[in-house]
Amino acid sequence: MGTKLMDRRLFLKATGATAGAAASLQVGCLSYFKKGRSGPVDRREVPTTCELCPNKCSAIAVVEYGLVKKLNPNPENPKSRDMLCARGNAAIKQVYDPDRLKQPMIRVGARGEGKWKPVSWDEAFDFAAKKLAEVKEKHGPQASLWSSTEGFQEVFFKNLGLAFGSPNTVRHPTLCLASVNLAYSMTFGTVPSFDLLNSRYVIMSGANRFESIITPDTMDLIGGVMERKAKLIYLDPRFTVTASKADEWYPIKPGTDLAFILAMIHVIIKENRHSKDFVAAYTTGFDQLVEHVKPYTPEWAEKETEIPAKDILRIAREFADAAPRSLYYAGRRSSWYQNDFQMRRAQAILNAIVGNWDQVGGMVPNAKLPKGEFLFMPWDEPKAPRVDEIDKHFPLAAKGDGVYLKLRENVLAGTPYPIKAWMVYKQDPMNAMPDQAKTLKMIEGMDFIAVIDVAMSDMAWYADVVFPESAYLERTDPVEVMAGIWPAVVYRQQVVKPIHDTKPNLEIVQGLAKRLGLSDYFDFTIEQWVDAEFKELPIPMAAEHMKKHGVWAASGQPSYGKTLTPDHRFVTKTGKIEIFSERLKEAGQDPLPVYASPVQPPNDRFRLILGRVGYFTHANQSNNVWLNEFMKENDLWINPKPAARLGIANGSTVSVTSSVGTVKLKARVTEEIRPDCVFMLHGFGKKSKMQSLVYNVGASDAVILETAWDKVSGNAAFHETFVKVTNA
Amino acid sequence: MDIRKRRYALVIDSRKCINCKACVVACKAENGVPIGNFRNWITADRQGEYPKLRIDFEPEQCHHCEHPSCVRVCPTGASWQRKDGVVLVYADDCIGCRYCMVACPYDARYFHEESGTVHKCTLCSHRVDKGEVPACVETCPSKVRVFGDLEDPSSRLHELLATRRHHVKEPQTGNGPQLYYLL
Repeated sequence: MGTKLMDRRLFLKATGATAGAAASLQVGCLSYFKKGRSGPVDRREVPTTCELCPNKCSAIAVVEYGLVKKLNPNPENPKSRDMLCARGNAAIKQVYDPDRLKQPMIRVGARGEGKWKPVSWDEAFDFAAKKLAEVKEKHGPQASLWSSTEGFQEVFFKNLGLAFGSPNTVRHPTLCLASVNLAYSMTFGTVPSFDLLNSRYVIMSGANRFESIITPDTMDLIGGVMERKAKLIYLDPRFTVTASKADEWYPIKPGTDLAFILAMIHVIIKENRHSKDFVAAYTTGFDQLVEHVKPYTPEWAEKETEIPAKDILRIAREFADAAPRSLYYAGRRSSWYQNDFQMRRAQAILNAIVGNWDQVGGMVPNAKLPKGEFLFMPWDEPKAPRVDEIDKHFPLAAKGDGVYLKLRENVLAGTPYPIKAWMVYKQDPMNAMPDQAKTLKMIEGMDFIAVIDVAMSDMAWYADVVFPESAYLERTDPVEVMAGIWPAVVYRQQVVKPIHDTKPNLEIVQGLAKRLGLSDYFDFTIEQWVDAEFKELPIPMAAEHMKKHGVWAASGQPSYGKTLTPDHRFVTKTGKIEIFSERLKEAGQDPLPVYASPVQPPNDRFRLILGRVGYFTHANQSNNVWLNEFMKENDLWINPKPAARLGIANGSTVSVTSSVGTVKLKARVTEEIRPDCVFMLHGFGKKSKMQSLVYNVGASDAVILETAWDKVSGNAAFHETFVKVTNA
Repeated sequence: MDIRKRRYALVIDSRKCINCKACVVACKAENGVPIGNFRNWITADRQGEYPKLRIDFEPEQCHHCEHPSCVRVCPTGASWQRKDGVVLVYADDCIGCRYCMVACPYDARYFHEESGTVHKCTLCSHRVDKGEVPACVETCPSKVRVFGDLEDPSSRLHELLATRRHHVKEPQTGNGPQLYYLL
């Protein structure tokens, strides 16, 4: 009896403290909740697809008494295998986060002041539609900008922008992986996967796979290194977790990876270790490469990279000997240097000449699966040219994604025409883009800003209206085909009903479309959309299967070597793997990667480098209470030698200054970084008070990062900022 | 009912641990662990000088000892051990004296402020009894932990202990810990 009373007291305490907001019920008190009830536990399991990062892992949500209690990994997904990382597990706290956006809000104070008026959905839609109509009336539909980050419902947002008449949709790739994607596409006509499950020899430049988790690569690599005797060579100015697991770690001089790769190619060609049959059958431009790499000797590369020539020589030999089960791993976030595209091109060429294409343990072109399409009413193509002038400046880049930093420069300059409305979905340009002061300036120039998000990001904090999106566990989303070595289809279905007055993005888009006279283009429900997609999946009883399992994987072993037939045409200009690229030459770029020594920081400065940890990827994750526990504040990594010279003690507060800004944060004096670099983690120092765990805690890298980009892909170059560090 | 004798244990291959914290968050959700408390965690041992460095990660939690000192010191019998080796706290009998917390060589227990009792890793016995594995074992991307029954000679756990060198932590306490770390 005593315990029962106690349980009731605890239960009342837990609920009463949150003023009856059932939503804020902590999952932790569920056990008390349960005890007070009689009969069997009200429990169900719903398969769904994680949205905390772009990996799209399959999860099974356990729901008890209407609350998400646990997310278990779903072993049916061949990409996420049978795991769920810390972020995936913490998705529960995205739903029950007291900081969440709970209803639409219209700004009442100055931008960024944080004064909001909760409004009805009708009011919010009317307000936004009126503002958008005003901008269209005054400046034309092209004066609106539509920014978004990948997600299953992103398509609706992007389509609204296009249907509204704006060509200016801009997506995340040029802040992330545009250079690596373009480099492999320009060489092989496609971006392949890397078969780490079967590879015997892996070289990685900075792709910190044991902290920047990518499925299935992270799991395959740890198994390879620790169980299957694969060798891992790792190049990084910082001693990351990946470095700690590698067979060999080289703290390469930043920005010189291209020299290392060119020297490897030099050795392999000079010693005749390339795959002659493969090169003859499938590639073009090898002869030009032979001449091109002659000056790039290991001795030369040692001076550039600080990696001993004898090691470069040995690694090149080992790499060629292990082929085709060897790979130079491409990596994902490739926004590093202004030569990034050419560095990735050199990797692609190195991989090509040892013949690891479409081989077990090498690079494998992605297998795809068909999916149905919902046929919606098409709109007229927007007439205006893009504001980022992508055709003129980056003719080779992916058009639909846009080029973010060039776009911001043009918007700030008002050329070729003004942008006056900024619509944002699921993205935080305040933290995703470098040079936050410039982003703030861009915000100042807007007549109207609307943000659709789950939480009050820094971008939302500066908006005029915020539309609260339902969390992924509260939504049903379009079906996604995941191409890869082990292709699969994943489905995200609603696990629990929205606990606040939120809507899925499609309904937000429809609310706006209705008021903008664009309803005809969005005249469907998510169920109709999904049903159309189900119809052409190669799965018997597709709808039933996907609802029951959440994932479907093509059975059988992956097929290697499908492209290794004499009549196969690669999707390149010549139909071959292009070592020498005529298209690059025509576009005025180096047709083979040419090395130029990167500018190094002067004596009193450091190069700022970025990276991730396993439990934070995006800027929004540091405010997740279960993840924040592992790191409450970010700090500045600095090597003990320069720290001693500057009188900086571990844990003391330092000022970090670049040409565009200053931040203050604590110093972490650590041996685990080169003396000429400093490092800080992304996602702290928030301006939004509704990111309460990280508001004004630590510092945002976006404040001090300078604007620079790769000249071919337009990808942001995040490792080109030199900073001064002083005791604060 | 299956009355076969069982003895649950964990084998831990720390070299595969990437410190991603998936196990910690999975435990938090599965067992409703309060913010600020942990039933499992990962230690990092950082050594060396640039550029000769190493980091060793090691997952930690209750070792579900053969002769658990936490059970011996408990004045009310709230700390107890199941026949299959799982060490638990019977909340109704716990008076919150915290002797067990002092007695544990692994610092694996915490005081739960709201209930006034001591909490700890249950080896997810509620899952194990249904034939599932503990949440930390299941969610791990690199499959560092291997859960199994020492009495089952066909288990993966048995095979690893038979073929790989391993050690236990703090063996001098006489507790007989049942977390086996591979070397």
